[in-house]
Amino acid sequence: MSEVCIAGYARSPFTFAHKGALIHTRPDDLGGIVVKALVARLGVDPTEIEDVIVGCAFPEGEQGFNVARLIGLLAGIPTSAAGATVNRFCGSSMQAIHIAAGAIRMGAGEAFVCAGIESMSRVPMGGFNPMPNPTLYETMPEVFMSMGETAEVLARKYQIRREEQEAFAVESHRKAAAASGGGKLKGEIVPIETEAGVVEVDGCIRPDTNAEKLKTLQPAFAADGTVTAGTSSPLTDGAAAVFVCSEDYAKKKGLKVLARVKSIAVAGCAPEVMGIGPVLATRKALARAGLQLTDMDLIEINEAFAVQVLACGRELGFDQTKMNLDGGAVALGHPLGATGARITGKAAQLLQREGKRYALATQCIGGGQGIATVLEAA
Amino acid sequence: MAIAKVAVIGSGVMGGAIAAHAANAGAEVVLLDIVPEGGRNRSALAEGAIERMLKTDPAPFMDRRFAKRIRTGNLDDHLNQLKDVDWIIEAVVEKLEIKQALYRKIEGVRRDGSIVSSNTSTIRLAALTEGLPERLRRDFLITHFFNPPRYMRLLELVAGPSTRRDAIEAINHFCDLSLGKGVIEANDTPGFIANRIGTFWIQVALNEALDSGLPIEEADAVLSRPFGIPKTGVFALMDLVGIDLMPLVGRSLYNAVKEGDAFRAIHREAEPVRRMIEGGLIGRKGKGGFYRLAEHDGKKVKEAIDLKSLAYAKARKPRLECVSVARKGGLPALFEHPEPAGGYAWRVMSRTLAYAAALVPEIAGSIQAVDDAMRLGYNWGQGPFELIDKIGPRWFAERLKADGQTVPSLVARAAESGGFYRVEAGRRVALAPTGSYRPIERPKGVLLLADLRLAAKPLLRNRSASLWDIGDGVAALEFHTKMNALDPDILGLMRQSIELIGAKHKALVIYNEGDNFSAGVNLGLALFAINLGAWPMLEDLVKQGQQTFAALRDAPFPVVGAPSGLALGGGCEVLLHCDAVQAHAESYIGLVETGVGLIPGWGGCRAMLARGLGKKGFGGAMPAISKVFETIGLAKVSRSAFEAMELGFLREGDGITANRDRLLSDAKARALALVPGYKPPPAPTFKLPGKTARVALAIAVKGMSITGKVTAHDQVVAKELAFVLSGGDTDTVDQTTDDSLAKLERAAFMRLLREPKTLARMEHTLDTGKPLRN
Repeated sequence: MSEVCIAGYARSPFTFAHKGALIHTRPDDLGGIVVKALVARLGVDPTEIEDVIVGCAFPEGEQGFNVARLIGLLAGIPTSAAGATVNRFCGSSMQAIHIAAGAIRMGAGEAFVCAGIESMSRVPMGGFNPMPNPTLYETMPEVFMSMGETAEVLARKYQIRREEQEAFAVESHRKAAAASGGGKLKGEIVPIETEAGVVEVDGCIRPDTNAEKLKTLQPAFAADGTVTAGTSSPLTDGAAAVFVCSEDYAKKKGLKVLARVKSIAVAGCAPEVMGIGPVLATRKALARAGLQLTDMDLIEINEAFAVQVLACGRELGFDQTKMNLDGGAVALGHPLGATGARITGKAAQLLQREGKRYALATQCIGGGQGIATVLEAA
Repeated sequence: MAIAKVAVIGSGVMGGAIAAHAANAGAEVVLLDIVPEGGRNRSALAEGAIERMLKTDPAPFMDRRFAKRIRTGNLDDHLNQLKDVDWIIEAVVEKLEIKQALYRKIEGVRRDGSIVSSNTSTIRLAALTEGLPERLRRDFLITHFFNPPRYMRLLELVAGPSTRRDAIEAINHFCDLSLGKGVIEANDTPGFIANRIGTFWIQVALNEALDSGLPIEEADAVLSRPFGIPKTGVFALMDLVGIDLMPLVGRSLYNAVKEGDAFRAIHREAEPVRRMIEGGLIGRKGKGGFYRLAEHDGKKVKEAIDLKSLAYAKARKPRLECVSVARKGGLPALFEHPEPAGGYAWRVMSRTLAYAAALVPEIAGSIQAVDDAMRLGYNWGQGPFELIDKIGPRWFAERLKADGQTVPSLVARAAESGGFYRVEAGRRVALAPTGSYRPIERPKGVLLLADLRLAAKPLLRNRSASLWDIGDGVAALEFHTKMNALDPDILGLMRQSIELIGAKHKALVIYNEGDNFSAGVNLGLALFAINLGAWPMLEDLVKQGQQTFAALRDAPFPVVGAPSGLALGGGCEVLLHCDAVQAHAESYIGLVETGVGLIPGWGGCRAMLARGLGKKGFGGAMPAISKVFETIGLAKVSRSAFEAMELGFLREGDGITANRDRLLSDAKARALALVPGYKPPPAPTFKLPGKTARVALAIAVKGMSITGKVTAHDQVVAKELAFVLSGGDTDTVDQTTDDSLAKLERAAFMRLLREPKTLARMEHTLDTGKPLRN
């Protein structure tokens, strides 16, 4: 049975929703541009692509129809390839990778484009026409809890002070600014042409943020809360894509493999503590890989909220020096559907850059879930 | 010549705000200022002005997006941008050399036929244009705006002997129709009209207060309300304008007027004012002024200064008998009253009014121009000549004589013939400087009920409303309650009007000439009924309102609403049931019922929902429901007609009139345009998600409650609002009629009316004019 490989990773710049440089770019166009660039950079024959799988957390409006199919066509991938849109909220595009991995192991295809998109400017979080189920709201209202509220629940449960969250956010921005300033992100970013000019750098990073500035912000989700806009990932526009294929295919085509997918997992948890989701998913994935967390040389964990990563860290015991080397979502932004592809692609890319063996990519998911992927350097 | 592109040079308080107002009028605007010394950004001044104005309250922009209509720059790098501008307004420092140098610079780039004007308040046109090329003199005038330019309606226009008539007309037209100004052509004399008289008034009020020792609270009280002058009187007005300007303006006028001018006799640079300025007590922009807000034990207390000791003490609310007697006995009773304030008022107002009378025709061609200028530029309720008429010209002339004051010849003439203004054959006529009476001409497109009242009787009338025939088959319904608050009599006359018009007229305009269209339902009346527990009566009133407004919507003729000022609550609901709205740009529209613990009960919820849901087709109901829920729930009020459009109170096809005096005429034209083939709109029907929508809204409210943005009672009100907007017990595939939604609206309204916390809100608002957050 062939191994599952990640052979390429690309993304658009991530920019603020509502005020950033990509607000006028349709998310399907954004996805199309990134996918096209990824395929072109790898030099693969697009007729050999089995499926274009695209994650999106609110697949409606310009992200609606079966947007994966449309993105494939916009990217110039021939009609012979299929297309499927996946929704696992924030875990959507990591799930896209998992679907491809499963198919490859089934012998159901060799080459897959696994992407994710979200324009939080153009399709609001919650969608255009939210219709929550009244019965479920009566019996289990926490299912519809806002993400910020769940972050506050974790802050209380784990007694994580505001200062600690802010120190974390400052560090995330510092790492992201260093990576961006040092040109380390250039290789993964696909420049996007807009009417106002070419956008080729991330827009959410605040290199000059510090504890003093963050201290002045009002709590964003509870009057007496600790979580602020500064310690949350911002609403973001962006797209990301990875190329997933069998090791045989990579060899045949002479592709440089970044990493092998060693194991995958998803797990559910209580909705009101959704931020702790990575803990359960990580434990499952590590067990399936026969590895320990200490075996992981690199950890890419999505920073939906600083407090949520800190809570996961308390449960799992992360080594901070291995985590989110180029910064996380608090600094880079979190276009919901696109983040999974970014952090999985990033983990694979970092294994090569840092010359390491194992990496963990994991995320929390609204509604109470976690998702995790263990990678091994090729 | 049409004005489409405007440049303003000088981005200070006046220049910036004039640019903003030109942008409000839809013009493309260039705003230039000098390059600041040492700064890296060479256009920092103009750019900073835009940023500052976006934070200024009251807002210079009618819509924040209009800021994008202004291109900023500096005079060194961007002078070339003036080359295709139609009107260049100079609003730089009041220094003749600087202004003239700037004109020469402009002259090098501007195109033939463009117009240049100065916003000077102190320099005469003759001086400004001396030695300048003839091309510029032909295109040059003074356009003197008042601060703040968006809100103060006066624009004094001064032309020189060389100024082209068509340039004057183009500016007059643009300022009148697009900027909404009351344009008054003034002569090229010092201080023009309003400031000439206003400066005199302020000086004499200060002199007399100093000499008589009258406390400033009393001075302001006696000089304001009895004369229809804003309650700021003189001293609080100075705090607003800036006390530091007093000596500058006074000196400038002193030097500019002729020997023998009465201002020269009263001009003084008062010692206490000098000391106040030295101490930084220059008014609201400084550490305090004649009044200040001090904090004692965490509470804000208004304090007033003692003009002798310059010490502050808690400001008193003067109870003046002389003011009370004036209500019955008129202004002579006030002047004759033995209280010190009575004599004070006489000494200040008699000299001011006599001064004004002596200045016609020197400063303006007519007494109306002077009255208009004081009304529009100083917000006086009546101008000097109207005030003399109110006092009684004969009494006024005799008392002047008795006091040994000179009686201006115009006053003597008015005293002989019975006043400055008269009504002859249903038309208002005014005393001309020549001594004869001339009819007051209104420009084309100006239609006022005030004029109509003199010439005709209403078609229908009760104590709260009247219906007028405004010609061409159009009738106008006006309210005349306090703040034009809605009451059962207005509803009654509305129903009578619908019947009458259906038979005899083609269209109806609902229009009020006061400051406000309608502040909503008469809360006092409602509160009275609640305290009596008159629930059936209250429910009947709700029903009556619903039915009356529905009848307005379903009437067989077009109905056009024409708001200006506040249109709140029920006042807004009237507009929501009109076929079209022609709004004054300064319309402040909102459904504010939640502020008093209620929801709109007269169809506001339904009408907003119907608009939001729009045309049948794709898309769910939630976007519309959420938007209406937010707009009503947060009691949003537009700060201009443009904002009202964004909030959904006005529709895209509705019209906006810049000049208040043109509103009725524009509304009439809109109504007539709707007449051919008119069919009333069908009653709306709805497909609403019921309980599901309520859950979605409850989730949103819960989020706001956790973040402390809504109170406990807000949540009670929000729940009722959600019940109505969700359609009650319905489902997304079922049709809900307007009638069944009206029942829900009424039931929710009645439930809220019985809430003690709603009652507390109503009482608090009625007592304080402010909302209670319980």
